[in-house]
Amino acid sequence: MANTGWDEFEIGAMLRTFEGEAGDIAGTLQEDRNYTQNSSFSASVADWRIEKPVFNKDFCIDCQFCWIYCPDISIISRDKKMIGIDMDHCKGCGICVEVCPTNPKSLLMFPEQAEEEVEIANWPAKETKEK
Amino acid sequence: MAFDKMELRDIEVWDGNFAAAQALRQCQIDVVSAYPITPSTPIVEGYSKFLADNYVEGEFVMVESEHAAMSGCIGASAAGGRVATATSSQGFALMVETLYQASGMRLPIILNVVNRALAAPLNVNGDHADMYLGRDSGWIQFDAYSPQEAYDLNFIAFRVAEDHDVRLPAMVHQDGFMTSHTAQGVYTMDDDTAYSFVGDFKPMNDMLDFEHPVTHGVQTEEDWHYEHKARQHNDLMTKVPAKIEEAFASFEKLTGRKYNQVEQYDMDDADVAVVCMGTSVETAREVATEMREKGIKAGVVGLRVIRPFPFMEIKEALEGIKAIATLDRSSPNGAAGMLFNEIAGALFNSDTKALLSGYVYGLGGRDLTKKHLVDLYTELQGNVDAGKVTTPLQQFIGVRGPKLQFL
Amino acid sequence: MSEMKKIKNLKEFSTSADRFEGANLLCPGCAHSIIVREVLNATNDDLVLAASTGCLEVCTAVYPYTSWDASWIHIGFENGSTAVAGAEAMYKALKTKGRLKQPDRNPKFVAFGGDGASYDIGFQWISGCMERGHNMMYVVLDNEVYANTGGQRSSSTPIGANATTSPAGRVSYGETKNKKDIVAIMGAHNIPYAAQVAPNKWKDMVKKIQHGMEVDGPVFINAVSPCTTEWKFDPKDTMHLTDLATDTLVFPLYEIIDGHELNITYRPKNVIPVEEYLAAQGRFRHLFKDEYKYLIKEWQERVDANWAYLNRREEARV
Repeated sequence: MANTGWDEFEIGAMLRTFEGEAGDIAGTLQEDRNYTQNSSFSASVADWRIEKPVFNKDFCIDCQFCWIYCPDISIISRDKKMIGIDMDHCKGCGICVEVCPTNPKSLLMFPEQAEEEVEIANWPAKETKEK
Repeated sequence: MAFDKMELRDIEVWDGNFAAAQALRQCQIDVVSAYPITPSTPIVEGYSKFLADNYVEGEFVMVESEHAAMSGCIGASAAGGRVATATSSQGFALMVETLYQASGMRLPIILNVVNRALAAPLNVNGDHADMYLGRDSGWIQFDAYSPQEAYDLNFIAFRVAEDHDVRLPAMVHQDGFMTSHTAQGVYTMDDDTAYSFVGDFKPMNDMLDFEHPVTHGVQTEEDWHYEHKARQHNDLMTKVPAKIEEAFASFEKLTGRKYNQVEQYDMDDADVAVVCMGTSVETAREVATEMREKGIKAGVVGLRVIRPFPFMEIKEALEGIKAIATLDRSSPNGAAGMLFNEIAGALFNSDTKALLSGYVYGLGGRDLTKKHLVDLYTELQGNVDAGKVTTPLQQFIGVRGPKLQFL
Repeated sequence: MSEMKKIKNLKEFSTSADRFEGANLLCPGCAHSIIVREVLNATNDDLVLAASTGCLEVCTAVYPYTSWDASWIHIGFENGSTAVAGAEAMYKALKTKGRLKQPDRNPKFVAFGGDGASYDIGFQWISGCMERGHNMMYVVLDNEVYANTGGQRSSSTPIGANATTSPAGRVSYGETKNKKDIVAIMGAHNIPYAAQVAPNKWKDMVKKIQHGMEVDGPVFINAVSPCTTEWKFDPKDTMHLTDLATDTLVFPLYEIIDGHELNITYRPKNVIPVEEYLAAQGRFRHLFKDEYKYLIKEWQERVDANWAYLNRREEARV
């Protein structure tokens, strides 16, 4: 949002999250909400990342561990299925990879510049635990 | 409505505290969040008793400190309803952090401040140290000199503060004990008339409107903070005075009682004038009349509105005056005194030839006697006759020991 | 009263529409937002929220952005509790007076604060709110340090932790005072519900939050919030640290009903030695020097003693 002059904003440094009536927010998914430019949903922290998570749906069991433990509301789960990562809001902490229980993991961290298709094509194989 | 109306006589004998409590009842405050402190306690006790007797509907939240009292008021006000409380002195000092937060968030809370000295040493009596402490906090400040005015100014304060063009909190000051505990005749309004003057509360940016979620109390750093503070100052300077004038005019129409941002007494042809606040205004008026019998053309200027400071009105009121005394009832602690500085600022760059001198008086409830004021007016006339200020610019009145004077 | 949100399992929980947004400014790997999400997602009812000054507050409402999808207020460091209590009082007043804009809603009033805001500077305000019986919930995001101001000790900082105002040095092992037992203190207000929670045990958390939202009266929740910045561990390890906190019993999970009925809600199958919890954090690194190793032993003894105490209270129903 542009820096405006003292006479160009609402009094009290007050902010609104939604345009118009919010409706049943707890029952409305993000893509169906009418956010204002003042919601941080409209902003991006993508430039914080050094590494990014890459999601390989072939191994995902939809356990939703990554969804619940993601601090940045960046795991997109719809209809009980993990469908992707919100790369505008992901800060690259790597928690989702750590809590992923599959073998091989369905999420792995790669350098920010890495190409997703290439990494998925070269995904590591199942690890065999030493007994 | 589920609560009972109260039958009032046309004139009731009320002290300032009870007058303020009655005003809060008649304004039908939704939430009072309060903590007791002498001498303001009876105001919130009054509200809670009215609640207990079903003369008002609302919530009384008796919290554990004045800081919490104003914090609760802020939460309640941001939620969207009419909010008021009362405090004094140390309690006011404890509230200071939240005063800035309330005004910065543009919440129209009414705070009755029953003026009392600030420790140390501890003192329960009236001076203006707490009132002065609030003067940069971004609140509107009204000053009542009597129980009648404490009653009236509460209605005016709500009317101005809650206006959507204003949305700023307001204090109604009265002097501890001298006003708060001194019963006088108070002309009342009946409940319906009184309520109609303030009207129904009109919510704005209210947290309890679930269709419009709102974020209050954000962080702003060097890229935004200045603009928000500037906006608030602009509204105090440009929007508030007009709303106050409008409220004063409506109130006069309703009750016949006329208020002015600057209250002038015998100023039209005055040579010498005293500028003061609170109960001292009445004393000064009485003495000014007596001085005229002695041939000294004396007048009195009382400040009704302390913030926003009525810069132009005071300049106008003092036009043509030859000698002016400012009476500060708070120790300036190393400066000339708030009124002295403000008046000097208002008169500087004007055509005035007035001789300005400052006086400190009445700390911790020390009486300002008529004799003090007789001497003071005589001194002012002496300055006029000499064509210069013949005394130091700052003198202390009524303090024991060697004469204290500076500058 | 509205119907409680049904959350049978994590899949079902994952259909929640979050009311807390990303692109907030919390550190990568911060547990605060994991806790906030679990709390907010425990209900579908309207929310009136407050935060005391601290990491959560300064990172989620930096003008011109807000990360909150429900009404939210911040006043100062000490008064997040009282802010929400004031709003709750207004709700009651307007309900009585028939002036609510949406009278059919059933809002929940929740305040968040860090341990600095809760154990220290805001302690009296919270105590007042608990004592007065407001229908509200106060949630501490307990990272045992003033993280927002750069790592000063609070009365939640445990013995041996290296904090900037209780630094470990040539003749110091860091913090010398024991952590304040805030859940016991708040429970002693005889409030309907007080509990300790951890974000790794999401089901326990959601159950407690839902219970807290359903009871009539004040509720106090202390949530362990591992701090990657001040505890000094890799951001990816936040949940690992939380697991260590609960499974070493450094942060036992329990609840206190009506001030006198203590229930332990999580008993780890394999209790992990406290040493592993300490070893995983840079703030305790100096304890592994020879001269301070006795402190690790004492740590374990304290944790064991506290666990025994909780078990005694549970058994005695006190």
